[in-house]
Amino acid sequence: MKPATRARRRLLEYLPLAPGGLFLIALFVVPLVSLFVLSLRPIDAYYEPLPGFSPDNYRTVFTTAYFSGALGYTLRMALIVTVVCAVLAFPVAWVLSRSTSKVFRMIATIVVVSPLLTSVVVRSFGWRALLAADGLVNGLLTGIGVVERPLNLLSGPVTVVVVVVHVLLPFAVVTLATSLGRIDDSLLRASASMGARPVRTFGRVVLPLSLPGLLSGAIIVFSLSMGIYVTPMLVGGANQPLAGLRVYDLAMRVFNRPGAAALSFVLFAISLLVILVLSALGRAWDRRLHD
Amino acid sequence: MTETRAARRRRIRAYGDGPGVRAAALVVLIFLALPLVALVGSSFNPTPLAQFPPSGFSLRWYAAVLTSPDWLVSIQLSVLVAVLTIPSVVILATLTAYGLHRGRPKPLLTSFFMSPLIVSEVMVGLGLLTYLQGTGVLNTVTGLWLAHTLVTLPFAIRTVSISVQALDPMLERAGQSLGAGPLRVFFTVTLPQLRPGIIAGGIFAGVLSLGEVAVSTFVSGPNTTTVPLRIMSAVQFELDPSAAAVSTLLMVLSVVVMVVLSKWVDLSKAF
Repeated sequence: MKPATRARRRLLEYLPLAPGGLFLIALFVVPLVSLFVLSLRPIDAYYEPLPGFSPDNYRTVFTTAYFSGALGYTLRMALIVTVVCAVLAFPVAWVLSRSTSKVFRMIATIVVVSPLLTSVVVRSFGWRALLAADGLVNGLLTGIGVVERPLNLLSGPVTVVVVVVHVLLPFAVVTLATSLGRIDDSLLRASASMGARPVRTFGRVVLPLSLPGLLSGAIIVFSLSMGIYVTPMLVGGANQPLAGLRVYDLAMRVFNRPGAAALSFVLFAISLLVILVLSALGRAWDRRLHD
Repeated sequence: MTETRAARRRRIRAYGDGPGVRAAALVVLIFLALPLVALVGSSFNPTPLAQFPPSGFSLRWYAAVLTSPDWLVSIQLSVLVAVLTIPSVVILATLTAYGLHRGRPKPLLTSFFMSPLIVSEVMVGLGLLTYLQGTGVLNTVTGLWLAHTLVTLPFAIRTVSISVQALDPMLERAGQSLGAGPLRVFFTVTLPQLRPGIIAGGIFAGVLSLGEVAVSTFVSGPNTTTVPLRIMSAVQFELDPSAAAVSTLLMVLSVVVMVVLSKWVDLSKAF
């Protein structure tokens, strides 16, 4: 092939990416770069950015318990949410991808995918109605006599985990279902015919083969839960030690934009670190499977 | 295909779903559906408090929404933003999905186009807010349009990609060998084959746009309160049952759209 035709072919191959690429650069890359620059600006007493560069905003993030505590709390919450989602996703993903009942499969698909298309605001509203002092959960608890007076269920670490799991579980299910669906039936049949009980087949065949899907689901769930703020805010109020909420609060109520920028970059760096570890694990496991 | 009952039972035991798995899945599915059921239930409550279980049945909050000027303005705005977002996302997503999956694989570029999914919404929103400040775009329909195009683009790219990956390259080559130029091949051979993915991607982007709040809060203002933003402020202060009614309408719309969409494309691959 002549060099000119090759160059032309390469241009044709990459040309369709230009509009989307330029759009992402203009509205995603450049805003994030300017946000990073803002996070490095010194601030005056009214949190207005001043010219020059200083690491002060980052120092504040790490030395103020209000922020560093929120980062630790958020990291713990995100890890718990990720593990809970991984566990809960298994039975649903299994039914979704391999159920012998067509009806069950269809119901599972609707229940799993419709929350993904439903605004988080709408879902938070449902939780508010369920967990309110006169809601269903408190009604059940007082009804069977577990507690005498209705509990405040709207905030607190357990509620945060429950509502965040509810928002992110569908992502884990759909990723895992794809990978469960790819498992060759003959492997499961072989395992069963050689006398392995379902639990053993799960541990020795299903789990190892679905680990890549499980890990990519975990990456999505983890990264989304690190920055989540709308759902916890609507269910439990703005005064909870979640990093995403603190960023929102700092930017929209306190108007300390440079501080909010610094906090959001520290949050991003932490979640990027965990994502890199998870994807390295996934790649190592993939190599082991295929060697 | 017919199989004996015993054979079917053996197959289920070997690699289908047993009763234990089904029971576990059912519990998780109930957990997923419960808040949505509670929402729908509370929207029919006759008292001015969104309660579940409701203390009666009434449609007064639906009537309240449809006669409230505030809600109607928000509904119009939300529809307008979605209608603007759909074409821009469809054009960008179709070209991008096509570019990413033709020729050699481009893993780096693919992760670049998916990267808005890894960055938290609060950061995307804050970035847009600081970047657009002073441009006059904040608190306008244009600002929401740009933000929604950005947020929904990765999902639309993934949806269109499902169709792109199913393309038969022989058909394009046949078009070329018959003398059609690259543009003509794209519009007359490629694009018609991508139609299901493009329609699904567009509807998908529209639904996500109708429900978007996490980034919208940063670029919107008092003049640009979309439906979910209005629900958000209603939920923050008091559980207003008319917000439950709007939320129910929004949710019913999403479920209907999903059922329609599933005819064209396997949606579970798009997330």
